[in-house]
Order: sequence, then structure tokens, then C-alpha cells
Amino acid sequence: MSKKILVVDDEDHVVKYLTIFLQDCGYETCSASNGEEATEVLHREKPDLVTLDLQMPNETGTRFYRNMTKDKEFKDVPVIVISGIPGRHLAVSKPVAVFEKPVDRNALLDAIKKTIGE
Amino acid sequence: MNDFANEHYRRLLDALPCYVTLQDRELNILWCNESYQRDFGLPYGKTCFELYGTDKAKCSDCPVEKTFLDGLIHSREMTVKTKDDHRTNMMVYSSPVRDDNGKIISVLETAVNVTSVKDMQKQLILLGQTVAGMAHSIKNIMMGLEGGIYVVNKGIEDKSQDEIKEGWEMVLLNFDKISHIVKDILYCSKDREPNLQEIRPNDVVREVYKLFKSMAGSYAIEIRLDLDGNVRDAVIDPAGLHTVLSNLVTNAMDACKIDLWKDEHLVEVRTRKGKNGSTIIEVADNGIGIGKDLKAHVFEDFFSSKGDKGTGLGLMVTQKILREHGGKITFRSRPGRGTTFVATFPRKELPNGAGQ
Repeated sequence: MSKKILVVDDEDHVVKYLTIFLQDCGYETCSASNGEEATEVLHREKPDLVTLDLQMPNETGTRFYRNMTKDKEFKDVPVIVISGIPGRHLAVSKPVAVFEKPVDRNALLDAIKKTIGE
Repeated sequence: MNDFANEHYRRLLDALPCYVTLQDRELNILWCNESYQRDFGLPYGKTCFELYGTDKAKCSDCPVEKTFLDGLIHSREMTVKTKDDHRTNMMVYSSPVRDDNGKIISVLETAVNVTSVKDMQKQLILLGQTVAGMAHSIKNIMMGLEGGIYVVNKGIEDKSQDEIKEGWEMVLLNFDKISHIVKDILYCSKDREPNLQEIRPNDVVREVYKLFKSMAGSYAIEIRLDLDGNVRDAVIDPAGLHTVLSNLVTNAMDACKIDLWKDEHLVEVRTRKGKNGSTIIEVADNGIGIGKDLKAHVFEDFFSSKGDKGTGLGLMVTQKILREHGGKITFRSRPGRGTTFVATFPRKELPNGAGQ
């Protein structure tokens, strides 16, 4: 069974780009455009990895991450931070990788493969 | 020294475009030049720090005391208050005055007003931050562009018209965003006369409405028009009005997009006649609203609350356009409830010979 990735970004285009790209690479995807929605999708879809934009309004990305790490079931789901602002990943204590926008998609794919496999 | 030379030196010191004082070890002012007396009052019997209004205590790191100790020249930047309570940034230098035996008997302090330099410095810092912020928002757009290109390429590979169309729309939208930023930057960078023409403001509102309707729809935001038929001809720069409306509607939609607490979002554009034949345009939203702490900054140059998605140029340009028309822009907002921006264009006559 292919692995599932949750893409969280408030920018429609980024979500579309990343989901289409990841699907092409053989992953299943689901997505959310804010932190609240992401929590919902996380529980429903139980993804193997999350890509997270921390630059979403109202700090919902950070809050989502905090809630996720407090949840026994999901605290070990790996997170890749994708952000427009360098240094923002400090809000996430142990991301497996940090990417700045615009993302180098091959490097992103490498990081994902390394973390959860093909 | 004869009296003539004495008088001459005094005049020279008075004419210096900086504050000169002579101080003893207790920082009592023994003598000052005229500009000092003008801005800080009569000094005799008072200490330096009393006159500078620095909380009636010695300044930390006092350069005069240091000079008394080591006989060297010292300098320090400090903020002082003039006798009219104006805060002034000063660059202060202290140098020793010695007697025939080389003993330091007093210290000469010269202070130069550097307030304007400080202000300029602040503006430059702001400009630097803005450019960095802009680079970030452009990065975001680039990611969108890249995504669009990726989807188009995939569509070509898969021979899928739908994918090509979808990707191309992403490219166009992000291209639009970049052009917008560039236009705003250019607009801010020069003074210009508005291109005044007799127009129907309601027509421009409808144009902008058409432009934003479908995008608003995709975010489940309804744009509504409430146009007063009495708003007929007005003398306004049509391109300027278009920009003002686009910026206000974009902001209103952004305020709705990040508001997660309401199910239905509405942006309403209203026109009406104001006092003395002015034209009033309102853009109201029921979005997130502007918090108390942000209200004071809304009209600051380059201010944005949108993180790397905003440049702070929108309202800056909007304000500039209204200023050029002799009009004004204000807003009222309730956090959690929504915001209304009100742009007022005063009645104007076409300059002679202009227009048709």
C-alpha cells in the first residue's frame, strides 16, 4: 500500500502543486488549508507524513503542530516544514527537514523517501 | 587677552551650529553658548543633567566624567529634552580644558542635534525590512508559478486538456500577482499628477466587481454591490480609482479568508454622495477585523499583517492616490466582526483644456 502524505498550506496553488507532484511520485495525498482543518484531516486520514506551511494566518500552523505532538497517536508522525521565511521552523521542535519556498521538489522528494520510503 | 579678542571669541562660539558648554566635575554648567541657552534655558547654578531633562539623574556613561578621569575625548549618543519638551537626539563630545600645569580644570562639551539623521536611519531600516518582506512574498508567488508550470508540463505529457488549463490558470494568476507588486512599487516611487477625467464611479466599481467575482466565489466569499444611482459624474483618475478599489477589495477578501469563525463571508462595495458634492466609496467586509494593537499601524508605510503574503504596499498606494486627489481614507473595524474602509474623493472641476 502506498504511503499517505498530508499537505498543509493556505495557498491553493501550493497545495495543488505539491499534491499533484507527490501523486506523480506514487504517494497518496490529502490536504488542508488551515490548522483546524489539518487536525480534522489528520484524524480522518492518518497520514504517514505531513508537509506543513508555518506561515499561515493566525498561527494555526504552529497550533496544529503543537496539538499533534500532544496526541499520543500522532506525536511521531514526521513533519517537513515548508516556509517562505527562513528561521520559522524553530516553532517546530524536530522537523525531519525544512524547505524554503520556492521548494526544490527533487530535494523534497529525497527527504520524503528517506523518511517514509517510496 | 584684550577685550576685543574676548568679545570676538564669544561671538564665534555663539555662532557655532551646536551646543557648547563648559562643565566642572560636578557637571555644573560654568558657561554656555547662545544656542544652548536658547533651547535649554538659563544654565547658571544648574547641572548638565538637570537641563537635559534626563530624569534629574546623571546619565549613565557620562562622557564628561570620563574626560575628567582620563583626559581623553569621549563621545556618546543620547536623547535629551529641550526646554519646550522636544525629544532631541544628540551626539555629545567632551574634551578636557587644562591649566598651565596641564591639570584638567573643566570639560568642554559640544552636542550636535542628530534627530534628522536618526529619523533617516529609521526610515532606511524600515525600507530594508520592506525589501526583505517583498522578496518573501515574491518567493511565495514563484512557488505558485513553478506549480503552474509543473501542472502544464504534466498536462502536455498526459495529453490532458483539463490539466493544461488548470496549470495555465495558476501561471496567469501568479503572473498577475507579480505585475501587481511591480506596479505598486513603481507607483510609490514617483510623484505624479492624477489623470483627471470625468467618469462614472459606479462603472469602475462594476469593472472591479467583475474582476474579483469568480475569485471571491472560489473562497466562498460573496461580493455585493450597493451603488447609489445619484453618484453620477465625478472628476477622478479612473486608473487610480480602479487601483484603490482593487486594493481595498483584495484586503477585504484576505480578511475574510483568514477568518475561520463565520460560515458566510461578505464583501460589500457601496457608493454614495458625500458633503459638498464629494464621492464616497466604501468597502466593507465581515472578516477577521483589525485588533487594537494593529489599528495604529494600518496606514504606516509598508505595514502588513499578512506575513510573507503581503508587501504593505496596497494601502500605501491607496493613500497616495487619495492624497493626490485631495481626498482621504479612513476605516472603522471591530475585531472578529469586520472592517469598513471609507474613501472620500472631493468634488473637482476638470482643469481647463483637459479631458474631452
